[in-house]
Amino acid sequence: MDIVIYGTVNSIVFALIAVGFTLVYGVSRIPNFAHGSIYVLVGFLTWSFVNDLRMNYALAILLSLTIAAVVGFIMYRFILIRLRGMATSEIIASFAVSLVILEGLRMQGIGGFKGFIGPFYVLRPFIEGKMNIWGVFVDFQRLIIIGGGIAVVGLLWLFTHHTKMGLSLRAIAQDERAAMMLGVNSDRTAMISLSIGSALAGLAAVIILPLGSVTAEAGYKVLIYALAVSIIGGLGSWAGAVLASFVIGFAMKISTAMFGAVWESVVLVGTIILILLFKPSGLLGKQKELEERV
Amino acid sequence: MSMLEVSSLMVFYENALAINNVDLRCQKGEITGVFGANSAGKSTLMYTISGIILDIEKKERMRGGERVTVLGSIYYEGADIIFMETSDRAKKGIILCPERRRIFPESSVLENLKIGGILATRAQAKKTLDYVFTMFSPLKGLKKREGGFLSGGEQQMLAIGRALMAQPKLLLLDEPLLGLSPMMEEILVRAIEDINETTGITILISEQYARPILPIIHHGYVLENGVSVLEGTSQELMDNPDVKSAYFGI
Repeated sequence: MDIVIYGTVNSIVFALIAVGFTLVYGVSRIPNFAHGSIYVLVGFLTWSFVNDLRMNYALAILLSLTIAAVVGFIMYRFILIRLRGMATSEIIASFAVSLVILEGLRMQGIGGFKGFIGPFYVLRPFIEGKMNIWGVFVDFQRLIIIGGGIAVVGLLWLFTHHTKMGLSLRAIAQDERAAMMLGVNSDRTAMISLSIGSALAGLAAVIILPLGSVTAEAGYKVLIYALAVSIIGGLGSWAGAVLASFVIGFAMKISTAMFGAVWESVVLVGTIILILLFKPSGLLGKQKELEERV
Repeated sequence: MSMLEVSSLMVFYENALAINNVDLRCQKGEITGVFGANSAGKSTLMYTISGIILDIEKKERMRGGERVTVLGSIYYEGADIIFMETSDRAKKGIILCPERRRIFPESSVLENLKIGGILATRAQAKKTLDYVFTMFSPLKGLKKREGGFLSGGEQQMLAIGRALMAQPKLLLLDEPLLGLSPMMEEILVRAIEDINETTGITILISEQYARPILPIIHHGYVLENGVSVLEGTSQELMDNPDVKSAYFGI
């Protein structure tokens, strides 16, 4: 039973991490390598707002998410816009942004700025306490992750299917020029996608981070998870990303229960290799497969 | 006053001349035709009027590919729009229904139309949606079908419907009859005529297969290797011996 519950939590953690990355890639074909750094940035900002500025927790979260969205916007408007369509340059540039943010957060003492020192950057859970579900003790934060994950995916689905902005994102994702002919501005859409993607990375951070502590290293780990999930799910496929999160999430939990925690990363990489061996375009990477066939 | 006036337009792909000094006018409320064989420059002309050529130019420049150059001027409702972005031109009412239709393959028929209606107000979208479903009744039963699974004719109906949803003032139709059966051709030609008559939308239509289109146009041009070699009213073109031999086999 605990495999089912903790596996689900783990899977939704992956989904939350990957959904922003997939959104950006799906819409603008930009592999946003700064995804993990924004995750950490939001964690750090929220912690600072609460602990240094004595801000209300909810307000701190809202403010950091807004900052994340602005960072995404600036990153596109001033850096990525010049590199559109050159995948390698996009990766290098966004990874550079990621390094600046993550290593910048370790800086000490410039203008009174205090970066990460020591392991005590812990965000408070939204609600303390545990609950007994079918004989397994689950803390409320993990339940919030499940609820939050489902809500995020659901709201994102509604947004992309029933609002004009969401529809223009989907249009650009499917056929950029055809969407332009109907009045969708490609640059503006990419900018919006990057803002939303960054805010989603931040949202994942504030929901997930109370389970552990905020560290700069988490940025690299999150980026790798996001990449793994998107590649397995089929780059740019949102349903694929959710499916892949469950595959990886459960594979990791089951292997931990059976062979011990040391095998976790081996299983993660092993799953990626196995799936790519049999389905090179990922689980739901339809478009790519069609292209390959043609 | 003419709605669209293209004057001394030249488009180069690297050093190859795709459009050579073309002058073209679309009178408000009329159907204008552009005819020509493959590679005569019809699609390039359409891309230039709708602004897609600027996107092609930008992408080619970024990846260090072909150099695309556009010279001349395009006056639309009195203003030169030659350097205006595609989406801004669409907001001003220039909507291109592209060659090979380019339906959004993963979206349903209804969603394709909804995406078309991004520029429309809610009331406009509703009205146009009704109009599209009455004119292209086969689409009505396929609302939930994904765009990628439609037949060519259905896709063409959807593409025109989608373009109409964007509330065009000047509708550009690039080879709307490409690869369709004679029966479907007839349905579409009648639909195009109906759009022009009932909604008063100005239409510019390019086609290499002129025979079904010639009777419904008001004014037409013949392109050959990027040069406009002939122009005239529908009747003048049909009476022209060169056109007769090329398109009617007389």
